[in-house]
Amino acid sequence: MKSANVPTVFIIDDDSGMRQSIQDLVESVGLRAESFATGEEFLSKRRTGDPSCLVLDVRLPEMSGLDFQRQLADTDIQIPIIFITAHGDISMSVRALKSGAVEFLTKPFRDQDLLDASQQALLRDRAARKQQAEVRDLKDRYHTLSPREREVMTLVVSGLLNKQIAYEIGATEATVKIHRGHVMQKMQAGSIVELVRMADKLKLCTP
Amino acid sequence: MPELDSVHTLSLRAALTRGAQPVLAGDIIAGFVPRISLSILCCTSRITSRPKSASGAYLVRRLVIVELSFGDYLRLRVFSVGVSETRYQPLQLTPRWGLKAGAYRYKFPVASSPDFGFRLAADHLQPDDMTDYADSTHELSPLQTELQVALNLIPTHTWYANASGAVIFVNERGSDYLGLSKAHHLRCGIEIGATWDSHLAFLHADDHEETRRVWSGCLGNGAAGQMCFRVRDAAGEYHWFLSRVEPVWASNGTLLHWIEINLGIEDSKEAEFYLAEDRPATMPTSLSMYRDLQESKSRLEEAQRVAHVGHWEWDLETDAVIWSDETYRIFGLNPQELPMDLAAVRSMVHPDDRESLYQGVDEDLIAGVRPDAEFRIVLPSGEVRTVHALTSKRWSTVAGDSKRDATGQPYKLFGTVQDITERRRTEEDLQRTKIDLSEVTQELRREQAYLADAQSLAHIGSWACNFLTGKIFHLSDETFRLYGFDPAQGPIPFQSLYNATHPEDEPALREKFYGAIHSRSDYDLEYRICRPDGTIRFLRSLGHHNPSQEIGEYIGLTMDITEQKHAEQERERLHQLEADLAHINRLNMMGELTAALAHEIKQPIAASITSANACLRWLIHDPPNLERARAAAARMERESSRASDVINTLRSFYKKGLPPERRVVDVKEIVREMTVLLRNEAVRYSITIKCELDADTPNILGDPVQLQQVFMNLMLNAIEAMKDTGGELTIRSCLNRGKQLTISVSDTGVGLPAESIERMFDAFHTTKPQGTGMGLAITRSIVESHGGRVWATPNQGAGATFHFTLPVEAEARA
Repeated sequence: MKSANVPTVFIIDDDSGMRQSIQDLVESVGLRAESFATGEEFLSKRRTGDPSCLVLDVRLPEMSGLDFQRQLADTDIQIPIIFITAHGDISMSVRALKSGAVEFLTKPFRDQDLLDASQQALLRDRAARKQQAEVRDLKDRYHTLSPREREVMTLVVSGLLNKQIAYEIGATEATVKIHRGHVMQKMQAGSIVELVRMADKLKLCTP
Repeated sequence: MPELDSVHTLSLRAALTRGAQPVLAGDIIAGFVPRISLSILCCTSRITSRPKSASGAYLVRRLVIVELSFGDYLRLRVFSVGVSETRYQPLQLTPRWGLKAGAYRYKFPVASSPDFGFRLAADHLQPDDMTDYADSTHELSPLQTELQVALNLIPTHTWYANASGAVIFVNERGSDYLGLSKAHHLRCGIEIGATWDSHLAFLHADDHEETRRVWSGCLGNGAAGQMCFRVRDAAGEYHWFLSRVEPVWASNGTLLHWIEINLGIEDSKEAEFYLAEDRPATMPTSLSMYRDLQESKSRLEEAQRVAHVGHWEWDLETDAVIWSDETYRIFGLNPQELPMDLAAVRSMVHPDDRESLYQGVDEDLIAGVRPDAEFRIVLPSGEVRTVHALTSKRWSTVAGDSKRDATGQPYKLFGTVQDITERRRTEEDLQRTKIDLSEVTQELRREQAYLADAQSLAHIGSWACNFLTGKIFHLSDETFRLYGFDPAQGPIPFQSLYNATHPEDEPALREKFYGAIHSRSDYDLEYRICRPDGTIRFLRSLGHHNPSQEIGEYIGLTMDITEQKHAEQERERLHQLEADLAHINRLNMMGELTAALAHEIKQPIAASITSANACLRWLIHDPPNLERARAAAARMERESSRASDVINTLRSFYKKGLPPERRVVDVKEIVREMTVLLRNEAVRYSITIKCELDADTPNILGDPVQLQQVFMNLMLNAIEAMKDTGGELTIRSCLNRGKQLTISVSDTGVGLPAESIERMFDAFHTTKPQGTGMGLAITRSIVESHGGRVWATPNQGAGATFHFTLPVEAEARA
């Protein structure tokens, strides 16, 4: 069994020769690889825990690679995608890249290009995963705040003074100071700047 | 009676010496020598030299030759007489003539001469008989002398009498028979004033009365007569003779004398005919004669029956009609069944012919010509037959047919009647045959004309000739025309025909041509000729050599195949055009498929390259992962082959002008290839390709590229029909009765345009904006060239199905 940390490269190509070749290539550099003939197969069998990326053939029998990319996005499955195609055109690659593809490679491609793209995608996935973990942690902290505290936090990160906040929420300046202390404590923020960054990550908007 | 003086002269001696014909045609004395001889020639030869006699008078010598022939032998008597110019006395011939005086009889075979007369071979001349001619003081006229000479030559008994009927001279044979002395006055022809009936003394007493009656009748009428009597010979025995007496008239109408010839009818067969004719039942009592007569009569009857000739006699005085047995038979009666009379005869003549017959006979008799009539008779059985009757006038009893009384009117008519029904029929048949023949000839001419027309229409000429000798036996008019000659100009030499050969074709032609001649085999050649007017024509010549004929002798046909050649060239051009179009069609298809095909090639190549890279990476591991490297290399090889296969399939499509070939083709393999080629194109439009080929789908004989093209066309059409909707393309196959493979290509697209379903296979018919309209036309052309057919049907649901058939060859299945 591979360790949970080993990143995995998923491959979807209807051409078995191509599929196997890419899998072999990826494996030769010590990465895990799994290949599927169709998107459906991928969706039903993929493992989600590890950092991973997807090598996706643009032309697939039932649903094109680009459509599959959209479907993934729609269902909030985030995985970095490297497109490969035998005859890509510019509009197709622009569309793919705009939709967040890591790379758009034309067959036959240089092996290093694919491997680089894969590494890059995995890094990106890794980064994405880390960010997602941070946000998840912040959210957990944020959920410990009382509604008045969340209100105060939002006003703090928006740059208002205590006096102003007190005015806004109809409380005394001292009360504000107490809430503000709770927020800083619960959010484990060392400074106001840090708290602002947290709020940013939590996408808290200034009301 | 012609005078002997008037006959031709000839030197007999000279003739004999030369061995040439010694005789000339003299006047024939047939008048008093009846049918005994076949030919009687008489000639005199006047010797021009005039030797002096002892008395000093010049003599004229004459040679008289009378030839009498009997059967194969000729009896020749040479009689020589010398008469003085003044006295005309018979003189002896002198020995220096080489012929003894007197008469000689020679026997020799008759050799027929090419022209006239007989060739005498001198070796055969043999003195036979010599009669001494005593000198006589009695003065004879030259005519008498020569008459006596002539009569002496006749090998039967004859005599002559003066105008009053007294016998004056009996010829040698007669005299000998009678036993007259050498100096007897009758032998020498000296008139002693005898009476008209003095000669009766020599006759049998029983015959005197009859003889006297006939003889006196002759004298009274001056007419010829005939009688039979017995004559006493030297030994005193009597023998039967048939006697015929004729008057001899001078040119001035006076009666000169009478000449009588007696035929010994006891030993002369010929005489029996005349006897039988004249006196059938009244012959005297001699038994042998009677037997002879009966015999000869029965022969006559037999001869008549065989010849279908009967004779009849009508006595004008008594109106009695006598018929021979055969005449009765001809008229459908039994011989001598009933007595005949004129009325009976008349009643048997066909009514339609009756009047014209009798009228014609009367007219002929009056005009003095022999009636010769052909008429029909009606037999008692009712049968109608055609007979031919001759009623000629004959004045002698022997050959005569009518007997004339003293007034010159015939008192008896004699004639023959012959049944000529069969002959007439034969003649008619012959006539018909002639008509038939002429019809056949006409038919042949017509056929010939038809043949000539046919040759002219078909531009086929016939000929027969010997190529080695250049001799032409036959050259039909059309052959002339094929070579641009006018048939009316007459024969043309072989060389001028051969020289017409186009110079470019001549060497090859000559080689094949002489090869055929020397191997004596038939040939079939095509070549061009340049006609005299400069036009070039293609000819095909078929020659047949008959082994029984001489080497080089051929008969054959030559035909103008110019139009055919042009048509062939045109067809060739069309084929080329079609092939070009098919090629363009393929290029077009390839053009349409470029992207898909590129993908189809790139895919395995990319896979191969990627595998190669993986392989290298497995190798640079430390230690190298050889197992994974080997697997990658194997994949590499597999993918490269895949690319190569696709390229090969495509290359055949791009090739141009390959002649169609027939080889065993695996239909499943072709379908597979085409599915590969078109897969990406189908994917592009969300089309699925399904193959439902019968597992037993047999191989067929065909051209692989053409069949690929058929599949490609139909599959592309199907894809085209589903471009906007996506769908399913299904290829099915099934085997019908083991003989025919039916393949269908179905789509679920827009379906067939109803208004053009019938024209969809026509060339240039298209429903696509960019279509050439050639796809289906070429598909049909290819399928039909493989012996199949192609058609389309709408589907139950959406879309259409195109079907085509291919015959399954036994050999392809094996």
